Amino acid sequence: MMKPFAYLKAKTPAEALAALNSKGARIHAGGTDLLGCLHDHLFTVDKVVSISGIKEWSGMTGRPDGGLKIGCLTTIASIAASAVLKEKYAVLAQAASEVASPQLREQGTIGGNLCQRPRCWYYRGDFPCARKGGETCFAVEGENQNHAIFSNGPCFFVHPSDTAVALSALQARLTVAGPAGTRTVPIESFFLAPEKAIDRENVLEPAEILTEIHLPAPAAGARSSYRKIRSRQSWDFALTSVALWLQVDKGMVSQARCWLGGVAPAPWRAAAAEKLLAGKKLNAALAASAGQAAAEGAVPMRDNAYKVEMVKGAVEESLLRLLA
Amino acid sequence: MSHYYEEMEESFRNSFEPAPGPVAEAKIRPWEKTQLVGKGVPRVDGYERVSGAAQYTADIVLPDMLYAAILRCPHAHAMVKSIDTSAAEKMPGVLAVLSGKSPGADLPWYGGKAAQSKLFDTHCRHEGEEVAAVAALTPYQAADALRAIRVEYETLPFVLDPAAMQPSAPKLYEGGNAVGEPRIVKRGDVAQGFAEADVVLEETFYTSVQMHATMEAHGSVAKWDGDKLTLWDSTQGVYDGVLFGAARALNMPFNKIRVICKYMGGGFGAKLEVGKYSIIAALLARKTGRPVKAMLPREDTFLCTGNRPEARMTLKAGVKKDGTLTALQLTNLSTPGAYASGTSVGYQVAELYKCPNVLVSESGYYSNAGRARPFRAPGFPSGNWCLEQMMDMLAVKLGMDPVELRLKNFTEVSQTRQVPYTSTGLKECLLQGAKAFGWQEARAAKKSDGPVRRGFGMAAGMWSGGNGSPPYTAEVRLFVDGGITIKTGAMDIGTGTKTVACMVAAEELGVPLESVRIENADTAVTPYGQSSGGSMTLPGLIPAVRKGAWLVKQQLLAWGAEALGVPAEDVELKGNAIGSRSAPDKKKPLEELLRANGVMDVIGIGNRDPNPPKKAINPFGAHFAEVEVNTRTGEVRVVRLLGANESGRVINQKTFHNQVFGGMTQCLGFALTEKRVLDRQTGKMVNANLHDYKVPTALDVPVQHQVVAVDPQDTECNLVGCKGLGEPAHIPTASAIANAIYDAVGVRPTHGPMEPKTILELLAKKKRG
Repeated sequence: MMKPFAYLKAKTPAEALAALNSKGARIHAGGTDLLGCLHDHLFTVDKVVSISGIKEWSGMTGRPDGGLKIGCLTTIASIAASAVLKEKYAVLAQAASEVASPQLREQGTIGGNLCQRPRCWYYRGDFPCARKGGETCFAVEGENQNHAIFSNGPCFFVHPSDTAVALSALQARLTVAGPAGTRTVPIESFFLAPEKAIDRENVLEPAEILTEIHLPAPAAGARSSYRKIRSRQSWDFALTSVALWLQVDKGMVSQARCWLGGVAPAPWRAAAAEKLLAGKKLNAALAASAGQAAAEGAVPMRDNAYKVEMVKGAVEESLLRLLA
Repeated sequence: MSHYYEEMEESFRNSFEPAPGPVAEAKIRPWEKTQLVGKGVPRVDGYERVSGAAQYTADIVLPDMLYAAILRCPHAHAMVKSIDTSAAEKMPGVLAVLSGKSPGADLPWYGGKAAQSKLFDTHCRHEGEEVAAVAALTPYQAADALRAIRVEYETLPFVLDPAAMQPSAPKLYEGGNAVGEPRIVKRGDVAQGFAEADVVLEETFYTSVQMHATMEAHGSVAKWDGDKLTLWDSTQGVYDGVLFGAARALNMPFNKIRVICKYMGGGFGAKLEVGKYSIIAALLARKTGRPVKAMLPREDTFLCTGNRPEARMTLKAGVKKDGTLTALQLTNLSTPGAYASGTSVGYQVAELYKCPNVLVSESGYYSNAGRARPFRAPGFPSGNWCLEQMMDMLAVKLGMDPVELRLKNFTEVSQTRQVPYTSTGLKECLLQGAKAFGWQEARAAKKSDGPVRRGFGMAAGMWSGGNGSPPYTAEVRLFVDGGITIKTGAMDIGTGTKTVACMVAAEELGVPLESVRIENADTAVTPYGQSSGGSMTLPGLIPAVRKGAWLVKQQLLAWGAEALGVPAEDVELKGNAIGSRSAPDKKKPLEELLRANGVMDVIGIGNRDPNPPKKAINPFGAHFAEVEVNTRTGEVRVVRLLGANESGRVINQKTFHNQVFGGMTQCLGFALTEKRVLDRQTGKMVNANLHDYKVPTALDVPVQHQVVAVDPQDTECNLVGCKGLGEPAHIPTASAIANAIYDAVGVRPTHGPMEPKTILELLAKKKRG
């Protein structure tokens, strides 16, 4: 049965952090993932702490260094609609615009989007999988067409967040608040591979909360894009996605960042592709080679080898479009 | 009704001998000119539906009502060894717990002679089988109580695929897993046909299991008043489905059960029979003495309410150089899941085109999965998938235009029945569809060799039903103020039946549409109507409505002629009076006329007349698609669809268009995204929810979506000249999209659905050579 739980609507950050510092407390922001998790009995809660009324954690403000601070409660819809983001951090606005469906984008928050639980159908379904304390990852021998092609195991889910991939390409830094104060984590270190932790997907401790996202000042000549491939055109997670960030100087790629979604338990850095692109003038042949490089190291399972082709094609296409 | 469909609807539709029509029928002539019929009219219940005033089963709330929840077996194959409900019974709000051992709950269910299953069977043959049920004050208490029921299962080995046919396979039944004998349809001699052919092609095709995914879940609300039971049920048939089924299950007379379904949130074939949930609600309501509502959670609807079964088809076709078909040979192996249900797909192979030599052989096996149910044109999108892709392959091989190849094999005579169709619009659908689509120009245009390729494809189709047949009764009642009320037990499952019935009554009586009201689908007050299935409600019911209205008119004209002293042909109904056409000053208020004849209303009972003998009645269609295929990512975008459909008389342009849009959209899901996925390790469904099971969203449906309504002016098929549309509008869309994909990228998507994965795998295979 569903365990009865307490509900608290926090008015200040301090109140929220205090409330969270107790056993079985969970954050409720947009609720689009929490309610589904509770419905599916993925975990139980003793206390639901609503943070949706905390004004300090909502909205976007400029940073003194020219960067941008995004509060964790900023909705996905407002990120998708932001003129500043569209102009200076296009990859993030584009990723947000591809999240879920209009209703979910209005309700869902950026913090929640980064911290959502896996969407693996074994994890969400009635299967005692490793991530739920079971002994096995059902995807290994089972229905794995949607699963990871980059994972060392023992779990092969793909991280569901679009914005996480985009923020990785932007080298965002995340502020985490907790009982011991706040700390800053580069997004690259935020997500945890399954071999490091099987029961959670990021470094947040139970009483901690991701409060702010910080973007560096836009670099000169930088341009970025997000491309998402999915089974249907709305309300669907990525089969493969590509977040590209390129700094271009006189037609030459001086710096490239290429991150993939839908292929690994965390945003996946296509380091070989980045390396290949740096210092070169982009043309069709280079784009194709970069696509090949992006798929390097992939270990597909029985039903997801198509993702290797998809990565190659999506990276190639994204490069050509971004520099068209 | 064709034997194919009859077989699919096996158990719950009663068969009746057609009643002989009354003598009056001979005088009903086809309308020469119509005032209302043929126009585009908004739905008569549109306001109720969009405002929320319409009460669906899910909306029913009664005083003291309890909520039921059903415990389901979590294993693909298991025996229930014991059930302990003691903890659940003590939980707050729980008023009753039901299992197979409860008094009155030991009821026979699926099966029959060979193997008899039960309402709560200890042998659970697939995930989701009903094990126990509870009734509680709130739905949450009921759901919580389920989790407190302790069940001990003995899990058994399971089988999901054709390995079920092996002797060593786990058995669902003592007699083995074969579903009866192979079904054979044979005509001519295929060996000779292939010998005569210039080109012979053979290909293997596969279509996945598609779920009905109705917007309104399955469910029922049960209320007892003494020995009388009322069921509000989300059903496609208040009579054939729920009333007769519930009466049989509960051993009650028909007139002691009242079944009501005024508004329906989607059935597509999954709501043709009484559900276990309806009977469980009735038993819990009897046990507690309070009304009980049993709406299924979304997840349960995916496990236990039906699906379109998969099909493994091999089709061999022979054709002469000029395009003349010489032979078609189909084998199909499929599974209805754990309980018998139709899996046949071969009808169109034997019927759609003129072909002297045909051999269809179909067989099935039981497997540990949810049972198939009729799904919008059962077997037809799957059979069409192989036949119409094969026609495309033949056209390519012959260097012939695909439309031309189909026209070459066009027939006006039913191939399986050897009688002429009352009408066939197939040729016109092909010609008018191709013209409106710009087919020739599109196919002739130079193809891009870039990464995103455009392609154009088409497919034809037909439906074995759509004829409609007796019995149906429509009561048409004229009030003294000129208002009309139609009563019928027939359903409007979202298709627009009610609107069309009102239009036809208004047309026949010459009154405004606003004067006509319809009350339907209430077995206590409306006369018999068949379940809505087979695209037969409109051609079944509407002629009966016209006849009822016609009878009212005849009575009025006779009384009017007598009262006014003019010939009957000169009498007309004018608002709340009758008058003479030739002498406008001669008139009489209806009330006066009726009172003089001892009544305050005139009632016409319209029965459905038999169909014409030695004729075939079938609807046809041809669908056209334009797609873009991204060869880098495997994405398919359907950018344009056109449906040219012929279903006899077009009564309401708006609902006709609606049906074609809806049918094509649902088939677009079948084509591109929809498939049930069962975990091979456990036999459990991994995508039993609306997120992982992917029905198309608004963004997946092309903005450019056109309908061509072909009207063959059929005066033979019935009194109104109409045939059914819901299913034929759903049949050839996926094949048209597949053919367009082939046109775009030169790979043949034989296995559906055509996900990005499918396309990328095919392209990779082609690249490897």
